[in-house]
Amino acid sequence: MSVRLTRRGLLALAAASLAPAMGRAQDELDPRLSEAAGESALAYVVTGDLEVDEASDLGLAGLTAALWARTTVEPGTPVAVALDEDDLSLLSFLYWPITDSQPLPSPQAYARLNRFLRTGGMILFDTRDGDLAGTGAPGSAQALQRLAAPLDIPPLGPVPADHVLTRAFYLLDDFPGRWQGATVWVEAAQASAEQGAFGPSNDGVSPVVIGGNSWAEAWAEDEFGRPRYVIGSGYDGERQRELALRFGINLVMYALSGNYKSDQVHVPELLERLGREQGEPPPLQVPGLLP
Amino acid sequence: MTRLGFDPLLPWPFVAALVALALLAAGLAWWRGLRGWPWRGLAGLAAAAALAGPTLETGVRRGLSDIVLLVEDQSASQSLPGRAEQARAAADAFAERLTARPGTELRRITVGDDPDGTRLGEAITRALAAEPEARVAGTIVVTDGQLHDAPSLPATAPAPVHVLLTGQPSDWDRRLVVEEAPAFGLIGQPVTIRLRVEDQGAVPDEVQGRAVTLRVSIDGAREEVVAIPPGMPLDIPVTPEHPGQNVVAVSIDPPEGEPPQLTDLNDRAAIQIEGVRDRLRVLLVSGEPHPGSRVWRNILKSDTNVDLVHFTILRPPDKMDGVPVDELALIAFPTEALFEERIEDFDLIIFDRYSVRGILPSAYFDNIRRYVENGGALLVSSGSEAASVESLHLSPLGAILPGRPTGLFLDAPFLPQLTGEGRRHPVTAALPGAPDPERTDAPHWGRWLRMGDVIPEPDAEVLMTGDEGRPLLIASRVGEGRVALLTSDQVWLWARGFEGGGPQAELLRRVAHWSMKEPDLEEESLQVQLSGNLGLIVTRRTMEDAVGPVTITQADGATAELTLEPAGEGRFTGRWQAPGPGLYRLAEGELSRVVAVGPSAPREFEQTVATGARLEPLAQATNGTVLPLSEGVPDLRTVSVERQAHGEGIQRPWIAITPREAEAVDGLAIRPLLPPWAWLLLVVGLALVAWLVEAGRVGRRRVRA
Repeated sequence: MSVRLTRRGLLALAAASLAPAMGRAQDELDPRLSEAAGESALAYVVTGDLEVDEASDLGLAGLTAALWARTTVEPGTPVAVALDEDDLSLLSFLYWPITDSQPLPSPQAYARLNRFLRTGGMILFDTRDGDLAGTGAPGSAQALQRLAAPLDIPPLGPVPADHVLTRAFYLLDDFPGRWQGATVWVEAAQASAEQGAFGPSNDGVSPVVIGGNSWAEAWAEDEFGRPRYVIGSGYDGERQRELALRFGINLVMYALSGNYKSDQVHVPELLERLGREQGEPPPLQVPGLLP
Repeated sequence: MTRLGFDPLLPWPFVAALVALALLAAGLAWWRGLRGWPWRGLAGLAAAAALAGPTLETGVRRGLSDIVLLVEDQSASQSLPGRAEQARAAADAFAERLTARPGTELRRITVGDDPDGTRLGEAITRALAAEPEARVAGTIVVTDGQLHDAPSLPATAPAPVHVLLTGQPSDWDRRLVVEEAPAFGLIGQPVTIRLRVEDQGAVPDEVQGRAVTLRVSIDGAREEVVAIPPGMPLDIPVTPEHPGQNVVAVSIDPPEGEPPQLTDLNDRAAIQIEGVRDRLRVLLVSGEPHPGSRVWRNILKSDTNVDLVHFTILRPPDKMDGVPVDELALIAFPTEALFEERIEDFDLIIFDRYSVRGILPSAYFDNIRRYVENGGALLVSSGSEAASVESLHLSPLGAILPGRPTGLFLDAPFLPQLTGEGRRHPVTAALPGAPDPERTDAPHWGRWLRMGDVIPEPDAEVLMTGDEGRPLLIASRVGEGRVALLTSDQVWLWARGFEGGGPQAELLRRVAHWSMKEPDLEEESLQVQLSGNLGLIVTRRTMEDAVGPVTITQADGATAELTLEPAGEGRFTGRWQAPGPGLYRLAEGELSRVVAVGPSAPREFEQTVATGARLEPLAQATNGTVLPLSEGVPDLRTVSVERQAHGEGIQRPWIAITPREAEAVDGLAIRPLLPPWAWLLLVVGLALVAWLVEAGRVGRRRVRA
């Protein structure tokens, strides 16, 4: 406890994050986070690697701009999150690029991360090694295992062909980023589609999405709106960048509206049933008796 | 009876040896030609007999009295006019005759009321089992023959069973029979109750076949009247209107007739139908995907009783990205189907951060307004759009929303508080974690970060406030429907556990169900729970400071008053003990409830015309008979066992008991056949005779003479 109090004294930004229990309501809030809560801003984990963090910031800014341009979701400025200090309960979507040099978050940070996952938050883990996939190169995959081990992550499986991620906004059959082809993992399908790792209370939404396609780099733009990182070449590269943005939009839709799109399949049937059940009341056996 | 026994002084072999010795000695004497040899032998045998110890055993026996059982049915059905006197007169007459009869014991057994009706069979079986079978000389049952446990009757009895039926040959009764009534019914869907009016006994001609006036009333509401012929089954459709007990009171007008029918008690019935909600259909319209939509979905999807139809505006009409339609997963919002054709099918419509963007024509908002005014439920959870020109408040729906936005939207953290009304209102009362104004340092739920500013409508109830007392949750009634407005979109922070979180699921669930008129969440309600034996627990919820006493009216018009005690904010409770089963109407102010306690028509009065049908087999099996008391009290005779025990006398019929002449052995007296000195005298005398004979004194004198 003394460690936490000391930190709080030192780091004003962390104040809100360290108010875990009831009765601390008058603690100062981090204005960035409270704004993020109001505007559903996207957030990324600060890794300490300046290049990666810049890519994350620019990438989420690019995705935010695409959301503003194309959808009803209009998120605020992306938020950089220091896992050891910031309260995650004000956020909905967290982009977590994996680097080898990343230090392990503190146990308190893991407790906050687990609560974040359990209460409906979503984390996109990006190992950014999609270009090396299949080469058996060590590195990010091991770093991911090291970082994610303390998290309550449900059993994972490759994204099934009919997963909501493939149709949350755009129709997609692949989820490219700067790289493409690497498998993307979500919570494995449960016996019942309605039941996710945290039971029916989480609407069957996978709390984590894991892949290695270096999405932030695909979403990133410079100050003139030009791609920040090279993707492929010519038209194919442009197409891949567009599909990466579409994946980003689908992912944000999935994080914010859950399995809404999988309900849609049943809507016509539901409407049909509504009409059928509200049929004419049976005729009265005794005329003029009861309404 | 007396019997000879032996009590040998020495073991039998010694006695046998002595007998052998005596015979041997006699034989030797005969061979030697001694004239006294028989006497010698006799003396020896007498000595052996003395050792064998012959005894006389005398039993003490006693004649036993006969037992006659007199079983009197004093159940409620025997209280019908004339029957009680008739039964008592008959029972007393037999009791007098039987006690006057020597050697006869009388057992009087009374059968009273039982919740299961008249348990006469059980009483007879028990009374017979309690008496020694060999002494029971007869059983006389005085009853109307309406017993409810005929299977418990014994198949036979050791002595005649006579049944004396009360009632008159002119007895008749008209009763209401509920043939079929469902215990549960979906709210709003008619269920069928099948009734029949049945005539029993000697129905007078002026009543026979005449139509019966049947009255039906649900929950004490206005009666519906219909004329039906007796004997015909009738289907009545009734519709449970609310969850919980729906009481259908059915009665027929007592028929005119001379003599009057036996009882009016079986002319009415109360049928309780538990109202069950059908699956609730909820339409959730999200104006945009935001973290709060997940909270709404989680609450509605985890309720298995809800069919959720959810639409989210993913792309507003003014944003285009040039992506071909076949690469989009977007579907058109079926507005016509939802807001024109099917709108009445929904139990609740929720608008979540919905901004008016020209997607819904204003005619559809008019439809929603009409839907609410006709009894629908609307919930609006608004975000920053409420303060903008795209606000729902500026649509035709604004007319029914319980607050008017000022255009101000506050981005400042605040702690949601319950208002005074909110602490009483069932939607927010006792929400866990609510901040207590008197204990500000106690733990409470977390803050929210932004809200819109609205001016509440004067007739709306502000249940929660946010920043500086600005209304946060407002509830109001519009026409027959209800509307609730939440002026912040931050309820999801409670779900996330921000600053400890809060009861978001409970709050939203209650708001939703209140708007759908869940009776448990009514502000002004009078609820009655049955508790224990005829006990009623009355709970009155109110937004007022005090409530008057509850007036309880019984079926016969008698009233009682119950004063309720405060039990927490907006709750008053009391307990009342009903004097008996029946229908009770509880009323306080404008609220009233009808509650059925126990069976509405007591089982005793279901059937009242006396009949011997159920007891006849037992009477026949035991040579007994069934006689109506209306022809007078029969004579009492005795016959021997296994003979017919009833018959027609000169003046009146007779019934008989069968004396059993049972005896009991009380004891056994054992006396020696002869005292020891007599044995000695016998043995010595015989020996002396042998000596005298052999000495010639007896035989020679005789020969000489």
